[in-house]
Formats: sequence, structure tokens, C-alpha cells
Amino acid sequence: MNVLPVTDADLNAYVDGQLAESRLAAVEEALVRDPSLAARVAQAKGHNAALHDALDPWLAESIPERLITAATGPAHGARRKSRRWLAPAFAAAAMLVVGLGVGWFARDVDLERAGTPTTFTRQAALTHVLYASDVNRPVEVWAAEEKRLVTWLSKRLGFAVNAPDLNSTGYALVGGRLVAGHQNPTALFMYENADKQRLSLQVRKQWVDGGEVAFRYAVENGIGVFYWIEDNCSYALSGNLDRAQLLAVGRVVYGQLAALESAQRK
Amino acid sequence: MRSASDPPLPHPELLAAIPRLRRYARVLTGDANRADDLVQDTLARAWEKRRLWAAGSDLRAWLFTIMHNVFVNQRALARRDQMQVSLDAGGEGSEAWQIPVRAAQYTRVELAELVQHVRRLPVDQREVLLLAAVEELRYEEIAVALSIPIGTVMSRLSRARAKLRLAFADGTTSPSGLKVVK
Repeated sequence: MNVLPVTDADLNAYVDGQLAESRLAAVEEALVRDPSLAARVAQAKGHNAALHDALDPWLAESIPERLITAATGPAHGARRKSRRWLAPAFAAAAMLVVGLGVGWFARDVDLERAGTPTTFTRQAALTHVLYASDVNRPVEVWAAEEKRLVTWLSKRLGFAVNAPDLNSTGYALVGGRLVAGHQNPTALFMYENADKQRLSLQVRKQWVDGGEVAFRYAVENGIGVFYWIEDNCSYALSGNLDRAQLLAVGRVVYGQLAALESAQRK
Repeated sequence: MRSASDPPLPHPELLAAIPRLRRYARVLTGDANRADDLVQDTLARAWEKRRLWAAGSDLRAWLFTIMHNVFVNQRALARRDQMQVSLDAGGEGSEAWQIPVRAAQYTRVELAELVQHVRRLPVDQREVLLLAAVEELRYEEIAVALSIPIGTVMSRLSRARAKLRLAFADGTTSPSGLKVVK
């Protein structure tokens, strides 16, 4: 043998997807040659996957208040405790000072702590569940009248909205509706795939200039929500999908909206 | 204006890290409440030590480092107080182990059994296995987080997996599904 023998460390790295490329051929050859080694690797991979299955659902649990306070820092927490009624003012001031993306997420937390019932993501998830679970009437205007739907929603929201075409991801437009937002009305587009799984895209105007925010992901009551801000509009894509699937659809939506926008600018 | 004394820790990233810290802490401590205490202490410590965080570096890996240190200190204290039992054993019927399985491939029983085996690993091996298999940290990051040489990471990982292998080779209790899945 001219290559180094395969070690335990190689096998573990292979299982965890951390094997150096230079060792890959040697390890794979060893696995083919030795079925007991292959079984061992398969078992360890199975354990990795099973641990995720067992422990990942914990990620979706709501976070206790005390941990949110701890994460926002000692000074921040103390101040809030003593002058709770000022929290929205602090949040607003923080927005003005810090501006941009960082403040956006923190603002959601501030709003929530100040007793405002919803954050955009929570609201998006609740709205999604409410309408996606409605078998007969998930939307007000069906996809057959897409043009009328888009015109109507654009008029009500005060800016041009579009229903992205998600057919490439297996989701077809069901239709849309107008939903009440915390500050501004929200447009909701509902999509469905062959397995009757539904996704919704919600769009609304930001009520403060939140700048631009990269994709963020949250899980609200088991519903995954991808959200981002672009051009003063917030977008939330919600569905009972895992993170990777939702992100894939999110990228398609984002790509189409960006393409549309650059076309409109020309 | 932002003053110079403003903390450099980004709130959104800290908040976003909480679910994973809680998950890790729960398997580490074996108890949901104690896990949240550990997360809370970790976050408080992160704020105290915030100047030591190199902005732009991986915040999550740094938080795992802090959590490890807090955990080790607490265990040392507990041991001094003759209370080590509560940190390393028991708690198996506690709230943390009501595993909310979404499981396509495994039954709740099979998963619970696997988690129990992981729980019974010595804490050194448990930490490395969880950080590699569940938190998907690079081995180099694990070495930094636990302040051990990378060779030690590898040997602990080997021993942890050997123990799981043994546990499931043990015939009767072996959930067959866990063996064959690729």
C-alpha cells in the first residue's frame, strides 16, 4: 500500500463531512473493501441523523423571557425593568441611532416585550396557519384571476406587488388575499404543491426605514419563516418546511423580485 | 451617536444563537431548567467578556467556548459541594427527555434510547460528540472551544462512537433502524 492506512480519525471525519479531500479516495476504497468498516460508518452516520431528529425539535421552542433579557445585555435589561413604559421609546431611539439591519430584529423583541402582541415573523406564521389550513377558502382571489389579484393588492398596499412564479420549485399559485398588518396592510400569496403542502409569501411596507436585511430564519410554532427586507418592504415566506427547503424557495422568490425590479428600473 | 462604550455584541446574533445553546445545554446537563440556567449564565458571561470577542469571528463557536467554561466551573463547584450526582446522573425522566420527535425514520423509543446512550457517555466525550455531530462545528473549532489539542478531540470522538457502537451491538435493546440507515 502506498497510501497511509485509514485511521479512526479518517472515518470520523468522513462521517462528519470533515474529511480532507486528499484522504477521500483512500477512505472510500477502504469502505468498499471492508464491509464491516462500511457498516460502522453507516451506523455512525445514522446516529448523527438520528440525533438531529431527536434534538432539532427543541430549536423551535419559544425562548424564555429571562434568556431574551440575558441576550440583550445587563444594562439594557436593567433599564427596561425599571422603566418598562419607556421601552417603545427606547426601541425607537435605538432604531434612529443604530438604524439598519441590526436594529430590526432587536425592535421585534422590544415590541414584543412592550406588550405588542406580534412580531412580523410570528404574525406571518399565525396568518399562514390560519389561511393555509382553510381547505376551501384559503384565498380571496384565486390564481385564475391573477392579474386582478395583483392589481387589487397593489392598490390596497400603495405600491406594486407581484406574485412570484414558484412552479420551478413545485409550488403553484393558489391565489391571494389582503390581511391586516400591525401597521400596514399585508398582501398574502398562497402556493401549493402536488402534496397539498402550502406556502405563503407575505409582503408589506415597512413602517420605519429598516434598511436592508439579509435572509433571516425563525421558527414560530413549528412553522418556518424566512424573512427579509428590501426596498422598505418586508417579505415573509412561511411554511411547514425544513430550513433548507424553505431557503431554496426563498432564494427563488428573492431572485425573481430582484430581476423584476431591475427590469422596472430600466 | 454610538458611544465608544457601546457593547460590540450583536443582539440579533446572540438571540439567534439561543436555541442551539439550549439544545446543547440540555443534553449536557440532562435537565431543561438547569440547561436554561447554563444558557443564561453563558449569555451573562458573554456580556461580561464581550471585549474578548473578536468582532467578525464566529460568535456561536465563541459562545460554546464560554458555555464549556461555565459548565466546567459549575461542575467543579458542585463536586466540592458533594453534589456531582445531580449534574452527571439521573434526570432521565425529567422534562428535558420528553423528546419531541418529528422523526421520519425512527420511532420515539429508538431515538430516546440513542439519546440515553449519549447521555451516559463521560462528559468529555459527550461534549465532543455533540459539538461534532449535532452542532456541526469543525474539529478545529471544537479544540478551541474545549481548550484541548485536536488529537484529543479525535480520540474522544473515537471513544464516544465506539461506546455507542458497543451499546447497539448489545443485541436485545438494539433498535435495528439505527444500524442500517445510511
